[in-house]
Amino acid sequence: MASRPAVAAPELALDHVAALSRAAGEDAALLAIRERARALLTPLTLPDRARHLWRYTSPATFLPDGDPSAAAPGDVGPAWRLDESLSAAALLGGGGLRVIEIGADARAAGVVIEDLHRAGVADLLGRVVPAGHGFLEAINTAAWRGGVLVRVPAGVTLEHPIRLRLVAGALSLPRVLVLAGEGSSFEVIEGHVGGGAAARVIGVTEVVAEANANVRYGLVQRWEAGVIGHLTARARVAAGAHAQLSLASFGGAEFKADVGAVLAGEGAAVETFGVAMGGDAQRFDHHTEHIHEAPRTTSNLDFKVALTGAARSAYTGMIRIAPGAAGSEAYQENRNLLLSGHARAESIPELEILTDDVRCSHGATVSPIDPEQLFYLASRGLAPMQAARVIVYGFLDQTLGRLPQTTRERIQALVAARLHTE
Amino acid sequence: MNENARPVFSCNGVHVRIGEKEVVKGVDLAVLPGEVHAIMGPNGSGKSTLANSLMGHPAYALTGTVELGGEDVTALPPDEKARRGMFLAFQYPVAVPGVTVASFLRAAVSAVRGADVPVREFRKELLARMEDLEMDPGFAGRYLNDGFSGGEKKRVEILQLLMLKPRFALLDETDSGLDIDALKVVAKGINAAASNDTGMLLVTHYQRLLNYVHPHVVHVFMDGRIVRSGGPELALELEERGYDWLEPAAVGGV
Repeated sequence: MASRPAVAAPELALDHVAALSRAAGEDAALLAIRERARALLTPLTLPDRARHLWRYTSPATFLPDGDPSAAAPGDVGPAWRLDESLSAAALLGGGGLRVIEIGADARAAGVVIEDLHRAGVADLLGRVVPAGHGFLEAINTAAWRGGVLVRVPAGVTLEHPIRLRLVAGALSLPRVLVLAGEGSSFEVIEGHVGGGAAARVIGVTEVVAEANANVRYGLVQRWEAGVIGHLTARARVAAGAHAQLSLASFGGAEFKADVGAVLAGEGAAVETFGVAMGGDAQRFDHHTEHIHEAPRTTSNLDFKVALTGAARSAYTGMIRIAPGAAGSEAYQENRNLLLSGHARAESIPELEILTDDVRCSHGATVSPIDPEQLFYLASRGLAPMQAARVIVYGFLDQTLGRLPQTTRERIQALVAARLHTE
Repeated sequence: MNENARPVFSCNGVHVRIGEKEVVKGVDLAVLPGEVHAIMGPNGSGKSTLANSLMGHPAYALTGTVELGGEDVTALPPDEKARRGMFLAFQYPVAVPGVTVASFLRAAVSAVRGADVPVREFRKELLARMEDLEMDPGFAGRYLNDGFSGGEKKRVEILQLLMLKPRFALLDETDSGLDIDALKVVAKGINAAASNDTGMLLVTHYQRLLNYVHPHVVHVFMDGRIVRSGGPELALELEERGYDWLEPAAVGGV
């Protein structure tokens, strides 16, 4: 792969942070956050490969080639044809934001979709994913360019989803902040597209769900072949709030994701549903975390991976139940289906249960397609490739069935398209 | 059933090995359109192996010839046999989680008929056949065989038989694990398929299915061979006397 040896002393120039901030029209508070993140990276020390997060992927893989703060803004990219009912839609690319649409109902309800550089919310940035989260999060915090704030006021329910489309360029450092006011209810889908050979993406998304909010957040990655990218998407879920995180990974050459939630208030609930389909020589490294900090919180995770060709997948799933989180429940299931003798998958559950009085379980499997299933479908006239497609589709659809209808249908279509190109 | 008809299915000199072990030791059969044959035999006699290997299960090595409508299909993979009109109702149908009965059947019907069936037309036909089999319409949306009871699985096998309208169907122990009501429903489906000119080979351990489905020919299968063939009266004789009197030694080593 494109990774450089981790032993070489890594260098990272961040010489244009102030200029970037000024050009984007940011206030002093935001620049201060960037400067603090830059300080964390000086000098740059890459994480130890022995640490669980980097066991399967070299950190150097994701290091930008040049100074990420110097990247020149490009075109935002073409708008896309809206073929569905949306509350709002926005396009983020080339370091800029274009709000495509805010529906009349959403606008009347006070929904805000705006340029994160100028939104004046520095006090809210980094609360869920602080710059100290990791070196890539620090790079993003210091040098992100092109960001969107999604704010849904307290008590507002949106019937239709908010769709964000993020278009990858040669080097993209997008930043997304979703604020779900108390008791609000909506779905937001962050779709990653574009990129080309050796394009790099380091993205960070923060979702803040205030008390009793109900947020469905979807992260759909379908980059072009060749993209090397790392996405961090984390939610902080307050008392009585419910967050559903969905993850669908299809594209890129090397993709690492860190998706998770902190269950910060009593009675918070998080469900994470994910599917990943890899082929050829793709490398996926997915990490999820459900951090239970408050009592009587519940989390459930179901992540499915299907691999063809010589694709590789690593999945690490952390469940942490803090000492104060009595009465909590956490479930985790990761299943991997290998459609080729050259595909490989690993699955590592990581449980840190620091209190009694919890219910926690996990399960993981890595297996080829069951030959008895293939024979059964063949006996009904399905050719081997079609039978395999039906089985894989079903395998993934069990998980997709838990998602909101629109997202489910969209991901189903992506799965079907992917299956027909295999 | 037409006495002058050519067999819709025949096999000659069929031997089946599982690894080093020969399980089926020379079987000849000929089934006419609409004709029902029953293969009866004790557990472990190789009946299920015969049914699965005739369909082309990859774990079994079959020698001899298998013909469908006069065409030699011995070497064809199971999906091609199915598209030529052959069907196997499984003794233990496997679950395919995430795939609904309706979507699976639509894919199968399209594959076997060689053309996509319009959704509305398919749905209408599916619901009609489900009603014939006294199945709740909600079944169409359930994942195939996933969490089904034994009886539900067998009904869904017969539902597939009726939807796919094969020329020849192997039914492997379709009567096992059924209560009497389910048995009657399944028998009704089998009879409907037979009246539709499907030739059938019922593999069964018990005689009770034959109270509701009347076979034209009964074969007794023991130790990998057909040791006796006869009319329906043979089934009744087996019911009364069991299989012991037909042990190869007892009949002089057939």
